[in-house]
Amino acid sequence: MTNTWYFYLFFAAALVFAGILGLLLRRNLIKLFIAIEVIAKGISLLLLGTGFAKDNILVAQTLVVTFIVVEVSLVATALALIINIYRQTKSLDVRKLTRLKG
Amino acid sequence: MIILFVALPLVVAGILPLVGKVSRRVVPDLLANAALLFLLVYAAVTGRHLIAGGPVLQQLSWFGEPVAIRLALDGFSLFMLLAIALVGLAACLFSIDYMEQYGAKANYYALFLVMVAGMNGLVLATDLFSVYLFMEVAAVASYALVAFGLGQDELEAAFKYLMLSVVATAFILASVAVIFGMTGSLEFAAVAKALQELNAGAALGVASAFFLMGFGLKAALVPFHAWLPDAHPSAPAPISAVLSGLLIKVSGIYAMTRIFLNVFGLTPALSTVLMSLGTLSMVVAAFLALGQKDIKRMLAYSSISQVGYIVLGIGIGTPLGIAGGLFHLFNHALAKGLLFLTSGSVQQATGTRNLDEMGGLAKRMPVTAATNLVGALSIVGVPPLNGFWSKLVIIIALIQAGHPVFAVIAVLTSVLTLWYFLLMQRKAFFGKLNEKWAAVKEAPFWMTAATVLLALLCVGIGILFSSTVTTWIQPAADVLADGVHAVIGSWGF
Amino acid sequence: MIVQTALLIGLVLFSVLAILLRDLLKSAISLAAASLLLGIIFFRMNAPYAGVFEISVVAGLITVLFILTIALTKAGDEVRESRAVNWVFPLFFIAFIIIDALVMKGLLRKIPALASGAETGTFGDVLWKGRTFDLVGQIAVILAGVFAVLALFRKRDKHD
Repeated sequence: MTNTWYFYLFFAAALVFAGILGLLLRRNLIKLFIAIEVIAKGISLLLLGTGFAKDNILVAQTLVVTFIVVEVSLVATALALIINIYRQTKSLDVRKLTRLKG
Repeated sequence: MIILFVALPLVVAGILPLVGKVSRRVVPDLLANAALLFLLVYAAVTGRHLIAGGPVLQQLSWFGEPVAIRLALDGFSLFMLLAIALVGLAACLFSIDYMEQYGAKANYYALFLVMVAGMNGLVLATDLFSVYLFMEVAAVASYALVAFGLGQDELEAAFKYLMLSVVATAFILASVAVIFGMTGSLEFAAVAKALQELNAGAALGVASAFFLMGFGLKAALVPFHAWLPDAHPSAPAPISAVLSGLLIKVSGIYAMTRIFLNVFGLTPALSTVLMSLGTLSMVVAAFLALGQKDIKRMLAYSSISQVGYIVLGIGIGTPLGIAGGLFHLFNHALAKGLLFLTSGSVQQATGTRNLDEMGGLAKRMPVTAATNLVGALSIVGVPPLNGFWSKLVIIIALIQAGHPVFAVIAVLTSVLTLWYFLLMQRKAFFGKLNEKWAAVKEAPFWMTAATVLLALLCVGIGILFSSTVTTWIQPAADVLADGVHAVIGSWGF
Repeated sequence: MIVQTALLIGLVLFSVLAILLRDLLKSAISLAAASLLLGIIFFRMNAPYAGVFEISVVAGLITVLFILTIALTKAGDEVRESRAVNWVFPLFFIAFIIIDALVMKGLLRKIPALASGAETGTFGDVLWKGRTFDLVGQIAVILAGVFAVLALFRKRDKHD
């Protein structure tokens, strides 16, 4: 693989890691979801970077576009869940969501 | 027209909200169930003719121009389509009565059908990214369905399920990107061929590990199982049946198996990893099931355990092992679907899921108790029910392949399974009739009809197991046992 | 290359800020800024369609959804985050960056890849004719999202 791929992989990995770290450390439900958005950015950067490095930029773009559409659906559903949770428990603290034990 | 498997549920789902404004109950019920019935008949009757001569590859054309909807139907995908349609139909019939208490039936059926469309699409896809896409379709629908009751538990379960799933899909996509980078393509056939040429070694190992983490979470393999014991009990009963009976198998096991066996090729290292993870799930979940008080939670842990059996069987890699794993997948889908449906009947009649509060329900709900017993015995593996045969095949395959230790563990876990299911039977159905339930009635018509249908199938397949195996399971197993060759030659477009 | 690197560093910085900031609104805006930078990065990689999508949908639509949610859940500020986050996060993150850089340097030229053929057609061709099944999938996922939101926000006339 060309050096450009590793260049973009470096940044994509940083973003994904930042997102995962955020998921582990934050407590506000909305913040948790922002962390997930950061992970999504990392992944779209990785996909497009791969396409760019292989000169297959058109295919990579279709992948990223589809991925973004999926992301919108996910965000809408997740935020709908968060709003409902807030209405029920009047709180956005993930620590309060301990009624069920995994 | 294989595309119907995806297009039909989507179209019906699309018109359901409009229909729902006009008729709140009857027409949505009718439409949704008719759609699933059609899928079942199509898969069972026409499907077999189609694949009689080898895998069917369809490239659709739109107004004369070929359009790149490339779908492949081979033994394995047809097998999954049949399972999806069967359990889906049963759950849908069950929903006719059960979902009355939740309201918004048209919306519910719409989500249900989108989930079915997503699962069918995943099964028919020939391309790594399409697998991801349709997995997400089914997943988004399932998040809403888990939270459908809008109670605190359901919302919490759905949120955690969503969070964990998103991390899983991130890993899957990362792997897809690496594969794309290495091979320049996303289609199964092209990737398989390219990987044969490349000496990809470590990079392929990392990609496999990421796939394992991602699909393993979807399949609820230990240690990625944490979301399931919360999500499956909180969902409405027919959704729990579809989640445990179908979704974890389609998004998790099917995707993983298709990629590992037909695209990457099953290496000895991968085989060992799969078998170990399978055994881990099998044992750990069985122990955890023992201590549960909530009937649906016990069933949820049992699902994790049985998925372990399936992965163990498929992981062996020998034709017999794969056949055993797939047969168990089918049987578990039927039996676990049945058990979750009956638990829904019980929950509706008594208002509780706590086993300690139930007792002696068999006297008041004989049909439900009987079907529940059939489902339980099937999973435990009591002859002549279907579960017995699939477990037997897996154990024989383990011994034949030279893994006697695994075989012993599998047998011992069956004993554990027997124990916790007996506990469930005794506490819920047999024993003294708890005073509170003296006035409960048997479940409404459609709910009992659905459970009886599944129970009859469990018994029927158990008795007619050899013809079931040769007609449905063997073609699927052959495709997988062929490994990479099944895809390279015949799937090139 | 310099500009690209600067943009990428900016992207990572704004994303980390979005996670670390305490005020939700500032977080959302930081995320939008990060999306904007990502869109520009995409443009510079000869991927205008992805860039447009990233800016209009992620920096635009998703940010609006976030701000809507923040407005509807006004008590969000009361969640007391652990103070440890402020030093744990940068510590682990910087450690990761160092490991990341070393791994990348070590991996240079190690991963085999097939040379790929030239791409033909336009973006439209590739999307509509090359990956049509994905379009079916997109319709399906949009339907799923719409129905999900409808289901989660429905009026409850019966209590269960």
